[in-house]
Amino acid sequence: MTPTLWSAIRSEWIKFRSVRSTLTGLVTFIVLTIGISAIVCVAVKSHWNDPGSRFDHLVFDPTSVSLTGIFLAQFAVGTIGILAITSEYGTGSMRTTLSAVPRRVRVVLAKMTVLSAAIIVLGELVVFTAFTIGQSIFKGVVPTASLSATDVLRAVLMAGVYLTLITLFAFGIGLIVRTTAASIIVFTALLLIVPIIVNFLPRALQNDITKFLPSQLGSAMWAATQPAQTFAWGTSTAVLGLYVVVLAVVGSVLLQRRDA
Amino acid sequence: MLKLDHLSKQYKDTLAVNDLDFEVKAGVVTGFLGPNGSGKSTTMRIIMGLDRPTKGRATINGKSYHDLASPLREVGALLDAKAVNPSRSARNHLRALAASNKIPFSRVDEVLEFVGLTSVAGKKVGGFSLGMSQRLGIAGALLGDPGVLLFDEPVNGLDPEGIRWIRDFFRTLANEGRTVFVSSHLMSEMAVSADEIIVIGRGHFITSGTVDQLTATASGTVLVRAADPIALIQALPTTAQSEALNDGGVRVSGLSAEEVGTIAFAAGIAVYELTPQRASLEEVFMDLTASSLQYSHQAPGVPS
Repeated sequence: MTPTLWSAIRSEWIKFRSVRSTLTGLVTFIVLTIGISAIVCVAVKSHWNDPGSRFDHLVFDPTSVSLTGIFLAQFAVGTIGILAITSEYGTGSMRTTLSAVPRRVRVVLAKMTVLSAAIIVLGELVVFTAFTIGQSIFKGVVPTASLSATDVLRAVLMAGVYLTLITLFAFGIGLIVRTTAASIIVFTALLLIVPIIVNFLPRALQNDITKFLPSQLGSAMWAATQPAQTFAWGTSTAVLGLYVVVLAVVGSVLLQRRDA
Repeated sequence: MLKLDHLSKQYKDTLAVNDLDFEVKAGVVTGFLGPNGSGKSTTMRIIMGLDRPTKGRATINGKSYHDLASPLREVGALLDAKAVNPSRSARNHLRALAASNKIPFSRVDEVLEFVGLTSVAGKKVGGFSLGMSQRLGIAGALLGDPGVLLFDEPVNGLDPEGIRWIRDFFRTLANEGRTVFVSSHLMSEMAVSADEIIVIGRGHFITSGTVDQLTATASGTVLVRAADPIALIQALPTTAQSEALNDGGVRVSGLSAEEVGTIAFAAGIAVYELTPQRASLEEVFMDLTASSLQYSHQAPGVPS
């Protein structure tokens, strides 16, 4: 009869699937990943034989190009991750949640489990779909990639992992910041604005820092051939995973200390 | 059973709860009375393990809230009826709560039926009136069939029928042997719905007791009608205060009816009426909290 972590997970799962924002976020995520990726593939294909496109051909990675939508779609899953916690603060329902589950770390673990499960399953489905559509668009004109190549299969699989980690990353920010608007600003700044700022740093410094940016870690994870200024895909995954753990730990400590 | 043990809560420069130390008994409705901002909600949040006390502790059946294995089965609370995600349905809100404490979903339907929300169980909570939200909050509090129940300002937003319903409901819960702790800033409401009353002001304990005890301790007044009111006023000792009324009566405070009668007899003044008037609970409350406001006005934000 004693509630366990599993009871908290069941509770969070009911909450996750019973609000409209989850559905909106997930549909946006699916449409953006598949849609943007397909549009980019069509554009690449139609200009493939343009004069002067030789350089493009040299660095062309059919796998990552067929997944380009992730750049935009990560904000959809990030918002889902943020809302999973900030909506509770926004509506005041955090108090009800913590009354029902006074062990606060358990609440954090339950929410992270639900987010991971939902995004890894849907994310893998979506990236494999985007990849398949992209390759079928390329077929005949542009070189294609095949899942029978280990690096290609790994890249597509890691794309789903990246989306899951970035969702948890966003959740961690929400856990610390607590308001929806501020969390989305911090998340967006880290993914979009910080890379721009880093660009203005001296080149030596730039090369060192760029590798650690979440977006750059992602690029390494879901490319079949390692892009410039990145760690190897395995290291990149570990670094992003470390960010998630640090944010979750800091957020949990704050949650324990703060009045709800 | 609910117990506060020298509980204090200090926010940056205000002492919201100041050394509250009392027990809330099972089997009766206990009113927690104080003006707005007197620390009632903070106290309730501390009991629920949401806010951390600066000093002391609150225990439920001898345990801190954090140590309750299955909290919803021991304590039910309605703190803020509107603190629910508006886009979730009433049923899903309660199901999420039930799942977290391993309470079967059949219980969700039972409590929905009990508070009369079955017909709107699938509707989004955002569209609920305050009264409906209060009922949903009550359903949530009852979910685990707990022995201790906390309600923060439960009559706010209820129509007269709802208020009547909730009074009967508190009575029923207490008669079942549960501990029922209800906060309010409305004296009149507590006078009719609570058996025991605990009065606080500016975070500190003022007094407690039954409604009768509270009104008895307050100094009442005596209404006198005499043949010669002026002579009577002059005959009274200077320690007593008197006030001549328009209709020829005199209101005397600081003396009992017997003392006034004796003085009038000694002065040879004929008395037609001599009525002790008890202070209403409202007056007692105003008296008590007014002095607490004055006290804290002299010493704003003094740390404990």
